[in-house]
Amino acid sequence: MAVDTLLMTVLVLIYLGATLVIGYIGYKQTKNTEDYLVAGRNSHPFVIALSYGATFISTSAIIGFGGAAANLGMGVIWLTVLNIGVGILLAFVLFGKKTREIGQRVKAVTFPDLMCKIYKSPLLQYISGFIIVISMPLYTAAILIGGARFIEPTLNLPYTSALLIFAVITALYVVFGGIIAVMYTDAFQGTIMLIGMTLLLVLTYLAIGGVTAGNTALTNMADLVPKALASQGMTGWTSVPELGSPIWFTLVTTIVLGVGIGVLAQPQLVVRFMTAKDNRSLNRAVLVGGPFILMMTGVAFTVGALTNVYFYQHSGQIAIDAAGGNVDAVMPLFINLAMPDIFVVIFMLTLLSAAMSTLSALYHAMGTALTVDLWGRGRECALSLRSNQYGIILMMIVSTLLAFVLPISIIARATAMFMGLCAAAFLPAFAVGVYAKVPSTRAAIASMLSGAVTWFFWTAFVHTAEAKPLGLCQYIFGKPVLLPLPWSVIDPLVIALPVSFVVMCVLQWQAGKHPAPGTVAA
Amino acid sequence: MLVFGIPDPQIWIGYVLALGFTLACIVYGFMNWNRGGANDGS
Repeated sequence: MAVDTLLMTVLVLIYLGATLVIGYIGYKQTKNTEDYLVAGRNSHPFVIALSYGATFISTSAIIGFGGAAANLGMGVIWLTVLNIGVGILLAFVLFGKKTREIGQRVKAVTFPDLMCKIYKSPLLQYISGFIIVISMPLYTAAILIGGARFIEPTLNLPYTSALLIFAVITALYVVFGGIIAVMYTDAFQGTIMLIGMTLLLVLTYLAIGGVTAGNTALTNMADLVPKALASQGMTGWTSVPELGSPIWFTLVTTIVLGVGIGVLAQPQLVVRFMTAKDNRSLNRAVLVGGPFILMMTGVAFTVGALTNVYFYQHSGQIAIDAAGGNVDAVMPLFINLAMPDIFVVIFMLTLLSAAMSTLSALYHAMGTALTVDLWGRGRECALSLRSNQYGIILMMIVSTLLAFVLPISIIARATAMFMGLCAAAFLPAFAVGVYAKVPSTRAAIASMLSGAVTWFFWTAFVHTAEAKPLGLCQYIFGKPVLLPLPWSVIDPLVIALPVSFVVMCVLQWQAGKHPAPGTVAA
Repeated sequence: MLVFGIPDPQIWIGYVLALGFTLACIVYGFMNWNRGGANDGS
């Protein structure tokens, strides 16, 4: 790394200073618990859009999925299609407005609290709170790793120090400023991300000779696909894998569907709808959110695939070989080698922003789930600022410890796992809850449990990518997975979501035919 | 057919759809800019 250390230090300090000042402004505006948890339900549309987008897009999207695109090619662009079509249009228009209206009416402050009040069931609050507390640290740890992986070589810091500094600084403004500080800093960080990713796209194409020349060069590299990948169905970096091959299933079920649909029922994103004052704020946020997501994931996936051209032109290697086999190291290595020094600094700030904006939202969601929905449910202390601050600190420690024990090349997979579980467990109950006139509590509980249990079973006993390293199936049944191909490469979401959806629909339909005595429309 | 150097329609259609949905977000935002305000009955 030849970046001037003084310049780097000064810009990073300015960035951190600005973040803390904005966080402090959020802290000063936080007068009560409703401010701390849902920003007083009065957020500006621009802040909602950028906060939603910046929370949605983390280092996982840029480092993890950019690396996945370097490995699997431009087919990952279908995730961008879903990110915008489902993650913004569908999420804001179909779910956002209803969530805001109901959340305001029943005064819900967290996602589990919303589920509890819609279905009038504390058990649902416990179940959803529990799922958040056990699964969100995995996603949080993946984001911590993504950020630390880039800071480590760029600032020449030991990995452990990079990770710890990163975790603590983010926690600082979340703990004190609550969601107002989180959303204000998200908006600031989202703006930096937009600048950084725009520059990344332009500079990458400049480095490889232009749009058509660069894409053509990548097309012409098809015969360089490693034998191991080719035998699994990969055909090149500008074509989708062979239909029905193991890589096709991974691309379509884990990456595109797992993350693309999973975004709809993520607790930290749903809460953002509840911070809006009215539906007009959400309508306006859509205008900003769509282009923002295009410039984040669209650019990361395109550049990720194109890194192969750069590495081949300069070292005769494809990207994954140049990065020593570590998918998560491709994007940081490319930035450090291919970009001008000043951009390395800008991109580091972009990544810091992406990681901090998502981390802060996750810390807030996990901490409040632990405090409001589990430990303090039904107790007055659940709504005290101090209790929520302790909850956030505790979950931050758990996530940081997890980051130290996760294996390499984990970022994209951990993200997909978290999002898949969220969709399988929460999506049907959430969708019916905000739309049905008389949502059935029994159906919601059964759907949530069946979705989560099916997801865990498929993850631990069938899906090779997780079942094999986990070793539980091997220990109990003496073989790495229970089912052969193609089942062993189909993502748990693709099985678990239909299960929870069918359970929800059947029981909801039954409840509609035989309503419980005294049941009235909400 | 090569589109910007990309031979597989399954890839470039993905890019077209990503741009199309982005445009839809922009149009939706403009069309509903003043709808759903607090005094608008929402």
